[in-house]
Amino acid sequence: MNKHVKNLAPETTDLSRRSFLVGTAATGLVLGYAGSGIDGALAAPAPANFEPSVWYSIAPDGLVTVTCGKADMGQHVASTMAQIVAEELGANWKDMRVQLASNDPKFNDPVLGAQITGGSWSTMMNFDAMSRAGAAGRIALTEAAAASMGVPAGELVVRASTISHPKSKKSMSFAEVVKSGKATKTFTADDLKAIKLKSADQYTMIGVSVPQLDIPLKVNGTAKYGIDVMLPGMVYGALVTPPVRYGATVKSVDDGAAKKVPGFIKAVTLDDKTTTTTGWVVAVANTYANAKKAAAALKIDYDGGPNAKLSSESLFAEAKRLQGLSDSGEFFVKDGDPNAAFGTAAKVLEAEYTTNINIHAPMEPMNATAEFKGDILHIYSGNQFATRSGAIAAGAAGIDPKFVVMHQMWLGGGFGRRLDADMMVPAVQAAKAVGKPVKVIYTRENDMTMDFSRPLTYQKVKAGVDGDGKLVALSHDVVSAWPTQRWGIPDFLSPSVDKKGPLDAFTVNGSDFFYTVPNHYVRAIKNEMAHNATPSGQLRSVAPGWTFWAVESMVDEIAHATGKDPAQLRVELLDGKGKNDGGAQRLRNTLLAAMGLAGYGTKKLPKGEGMGVACVSSQERATASWTACVAHVAVAPSGEVTVKKLTVATDVGTQVNPDGIRAQVEGAALWGMSLALFEKATLKDGGIEQTNFDSYTPLRMSQLPEVAVNVIANGEKATGVGEPAVTVVAPAIGNAVFNAVGARVRGLPITAEAVKAAMKA
Amino acid sequence: MPNLNINGRNMSVEAASDTPLLWVIREQLQMTGTKFGCGAGLCGACTVHLNGEAVRSCQTSLADAVGKKITTIEGLSAKGEHPLQKAWVAEQVPQCGYCQSGQIMQAAALLSKNTNPTKEEVVAHMDGNLCRCMTYSRIQKAIMRAASDMRTASATGSERRAT
Repeated sequence: MNKHVKNLAPETTDLSRRSFLVGTAATGLVLGYAGSGIDGALAAPAPANFEPSVWYSIAPDGLVTVTCGKADMGQHVASTMAQIVAEELGANWKDMRVQLASNDPKFNDPVLGAQITGGSWSTMMNFDAMSRAGAAGRIALTEAAAASMGVPAGELVVRASTISHPKSKKSMSFAEVVKSGKATKTFTADDLKAIKLKSADQYTMIGVSVPQLDIPLKVNGTAKYGIDVMLPGMVYGALVTPPVRYGATVKSVDDGAAKKVPGFIKAVTLDDKTTTTTGWVVAVANTYANAKKAAAALKIDYDGGPNAKLSSESLFAEAKRLQGLSDSGEFFVKDGDPNAAFGTAAKVLEAEYTTNINIHAPMEPMNATAEFKGDILHIYSGNQFATRSGAIAAGAAGIDPKFVVMHQMWLGGGFGRRLDADMMVPAVQAAKAVGKPVKVIYTRENDMTMDFSRPLTYQKVKAGVDGDGKLVALSHDVVSAWPTQRWGIPDFLSPSVDKKGPLDAFTVNGSDFFYTVPNHYVRAIKNEMAHNATPSGQLRSVAPGWTFWAVESMVDEIAHATGKDPAQLRVELLDGKGKNDGGAQRLRNTLLAAMGLAGYGTKKLPKGEGMGVACVSSQERATASWTACVAHVAVAPSGEVTVKKLTVATDVGTQVNPDGIRAQVEGAALWGMSLALFEKATLKDGGIEQTNFDSYTPLRMSQLPEVAVNVIANGEKATGVGEPAVTVVAPAIGNAVFNAVGARVRGLPITAEAVKAAMKA
Repeated sequence: MPNLNINGRNMSVEAASDTPLLWVIREQLQMTGTKFGCGAGLCGACTVHLNGEAVRSCQTSLADAVGKKITTIEGLSAKGEHPLQKAWVAEQVPQCGYCQSGQIMQAAALLSKNTNPTKEEVVAHMDGNLCRCMTYSRIQKAIMRAASDMRTASATGSERRAT
């Protein structure tokens, strides 16, 4: 984790100084930290609509409901949190339930101090707190059971929601203990810290592939996503977005034709003081179909604004210009003196690596439903960043954020897209304008052209090798829009090592790799033009999705230039010296595991086929899941690349749900492949050209390669799995293409044309 | 007012005849298991059955659906126990789950005609259904599992009839 994401709201985060309460409330047993709302819940005299305001509760029927403050977008994180609680609590998995938290700060991440889901952070940052919460519950239940049974608590065994006394053969279910009303206990902060958690050999739940709790809802149509929200008296909003991604203004709206559409209520031109959107109009009607018809009938005159002439080409040209300036950007890594080392190096390699704009395109298009009820603004929407999104919704409404209640829903895909809150602005302003609850649904075209996309990136890497073929110097410039800076939250930025000011580390993470290179510079350079024209966001795997594309391609180029096997060179560079001690060895082992599983170097491949390797420490140096990939490709004379197999190994330390991890790693690897080969968005005249799945084309079933996943659980702390495997695949494929046909492609996506051109070169 | 036969029930709806069936199902009938994904027949999230054929409800007008038997995910089986739904749970297919109603409905149309499809037939039949979480390999496994279960069930069924 970057240091800067800590302590966003220290007063609500520091659980280490708070006591933990287990008490009886109207609905059963409630468990949570003092000051987190539990105090009130316990004091309240059985309210009719008691809402559990704590991390979990146990009902008199024995059902344990865990409230998850993390956005569940398919990574089954709610289920994972329940699994961690259940392990220490001793609950039967059949008794576990989950619910999604509101934006109340009491559900903030215990480490991050905000409600944000990203970075593949959730499991690692909540593991300890959830474990202790579960253990505290077990202790309270056990003591109450001991009193009821008249036996020493130390002789009781807790298993599968039952507390039993083997000597006397007495037992009580959790339900019976809860009904007895005796399970009340306060743990001081020190008590809680002193609880001895289970060691890995005592686990009966962690490391077991229990069925994910959200899956049954997702096979019968009952899971409720944001788009499924229905409120009494609700009307619908359809968006008209301008031809320019950002910076346009509405000069006039003629709703003459829209007024003839049955059910049309009003056209609302957004006045977005949060600057999240520009030039958007919402057509409100009694049904979504009518709202869309009305939207199509609106005649809107725009001023295209300052970005109306920009294209992907102009953004790349600007990036190149900025990179060429000696005083651009800020240093993220500054070890030794690469420039001096290049002067004495036996061989110097230089290359440019690029990635194009990429669109999140989750299957559930962006949507939000807003309702003003008294002083309170209610927002219903699946969102990954309730803390910030609530503030944006408040800004759109012109009210204080404390009056906003966010109702979390299942997310029909997140991938970082739902860290943003643009969808709330039209819903809030339309609801305000018509005095009714409004659900705004983006068309796929709105969703694609107004994405907070993965930024277009331009990277220049220069490497120096000495007479022995040893890599002695590397300088790496990364030019991109700065997605995290756009959030306007200083704590999410990092100080630069040259003290030039804060930089957006989420554009360079990964470039601070675990290879030993004595002279190493990384510059983070903000492409202001791209930043303004294509407001960018965090797309699954964020910076390591492009930094490792450059680094892992260059390492391969160095290997070929020095006559070494690319995998062997990586093993040599991962020598674990100095600051790389520990991580480098784990990454080396992971690489070797992937090589072994793939049969790397063990057989001669047919002509036109090749294997390529890559290994990464995504997402961040301090939160790495050590991940390696061997890609096996076949390249046709036309340049067309077919991926035959992806072999991915990942060291995650401790696995909570092995099957869930495999699902995430496989999905992430296929995302990596889709970004490497199939997904490309382009800017023209200030607008994104791709509008639907005919022109923006993620991987389909017919393009599915064989995927082999090897998860290494070596007992170290649990790390994240949602993103890292995304980052390792593109360079592995690029390196495999080179290995197959000698074509080095340095831009993503890797197209047949680019491969063919490189084959000729 | 047009009358729709949906999941075995007749329901009257109030909407212009060119309204996409998708929005009639979701908003008027408040059956939200059928999802909106692209509005252009490119992703398959809105797949329902018309007289047993898988169609994209975003590309089907209300007028085209009148007089036909419409089946949505809610009506695929009485208790959500269609062999495909069971297989989807057994293989732990869904991640975000948003596309899965459409995937299941698309697969159900295949298995209703062919309970012994080859992998190639499965891919050809399912290729129009996007899954952004990329759960494709589990979808394939679940279809094969359900097909096998259906074959076993029908074999046992005929044995029983025979005796």
